Amino acid sequence: MKAVKDFSINRKKNGLLKFLIGAVALLFFLFILNIFVSPVRNYFYAVSVPIQKTFWSAGASSFSFFGSFLQAGSLAKENENLKNENQKLLAEVSSLQSLEQGNQAQNDASAACQNSGFKLVMAGVIGLDDNDILSIDKGSADGISEGMPVINQQNVLFGKVLKVYKDFSQIMLVSNKNSVVNVKVQQSDITLPEIDGVVKGSGGLSAYLDLIPINTTISQNDVLVTSAIEKSFPKDLLVAKIIQKEKNDQKPFQQAQISLFLDVKAANNLFVITNYKQTN
Amino acid sequence: MVIILLFYFLALLQNSFFTHFNLLGAVPNLVFILFFLLVFFEKKKKNYLIVPLAIVAGFFLDIFSYTYIGPSIVLLIITGIVLKKIQSLLKNRADNCPFIYFLPLFLIFFVVYEILLMIYLHFFGLSHALMDFDLRFAAGIAYSLFFATLGFWIFKKRPEL
Repeated sequence: MKAVKDFSINRKKNGLLKFLIGAVALLFFLFILNIFVSPVRNYFYAVSVPIQKTFWSAGASSFSFFGSFLQAGSLAKENENLKNENQKLLAEVSSLQSLEQGNQAQNDASAACQNSGFKLVMAGVIGLDDNDILSIDKGSADGISEGMPVINQQNVLFGKVLKVYKDFSQIMLVSNKNSVVNVKVQQSDITLPEIDGVVKGSGGLSAYLDLIPINTTISQNDVLVTSAIEKSFPKDLLVAKIIQKEKNDQKPFQQAQISLFLDVKAANNLFVITNYKQTN
Repeated sequence: MVIILLFYFLALLQNSFFTHFNLLGAVPNLVFILFFLLVFFEKKKKNYLIVPLAIVAGFFLDIFSYTYIGPSIVLLIITGIVLKKIQSLLKNRADNCPFIYFLPLFLIFFVVYEILLMIYLHFFGLSHALMDFDLRFAAGIAYSLFFATLGFWIFKKRPEL
């Protein structure tokens, strides 16, 4: 009887020992793997880029094909909204034209200065994970480093470089839950005081506007651009437009629902500003 | 080898193709679904396959994310072992893998996996949000559940390996 009991205890001990050895071996293996995580990840992405690009393009074209069927019902309503918006915009254009003429020279000069000052590296989008981290096919070998701003050709802010590997990089989008961007509300009347706030990412390719002073007035369709106090990004990059404001008198600040201008589905190529920090 | 390639293919698919078909920003976790199906339908005598399967699946989940390599591997090993333990405790029927077992088990394991991953990301400073049970979280679970159900019926119909 005692021998049977001892045998059972020994079997249990052996099982536990095997489990412990297995666990230690696994942790050691993971530790070693993480020491070489950069080259390993870089190698995997380098191998996967052609397939990922194919999948990305296939996804984009499939979505536009199926999307046209899904959105057919809402097209009439959207068309009506666009007509109304167009009329409003025409009215705004005429009032802005005089102001525009006066500012044209100054704008051109500053734009030229900005354009010549910024060095851009074009990169292809290869993937997006569910934490709003975008992957692009350019890395440290192309002069990219962490913290650099990423925009598209329309000067829409996408985010900043989070991690850099030799041949690819990961971009933290403005919609990432860790992202906070200082913005200002673009106003047609330049004599009005600037309204500053922050755009905070809420995940799922969406974000919201926060920290707008309670005594200021913001409206639907107001455009948000990066502000001069933002150190991570150049000023006046397009960020979002206001969809609906949420004013609560008990809170010291206003919040608003916004629609980000960044469109990951339509973005095949992005631009990394490689020398912003040096010019800042 | 076929299974490794399948995991790789699904990892690429969920990170690029399905990004365009996201549901409130969420995409289905195809790698987790395949791993769960393989373990769920695995014969008892092949339990030793759980660890290598978890290493391969977890590796592909982690390599295409921005975190360290490891959390998904460890979580999938635990998932696999606990799942097999639960399956052995469940009453044996003529059909050992009924849908009525699969659905709640998948739901519980997937939600627990997502929560543990959230905790890991928070404590390693990779995410400020600790528990973020929003619409996107629910959409991600529903989306994955749909593909898991689809996968279940495909596995049911497949010839014995």
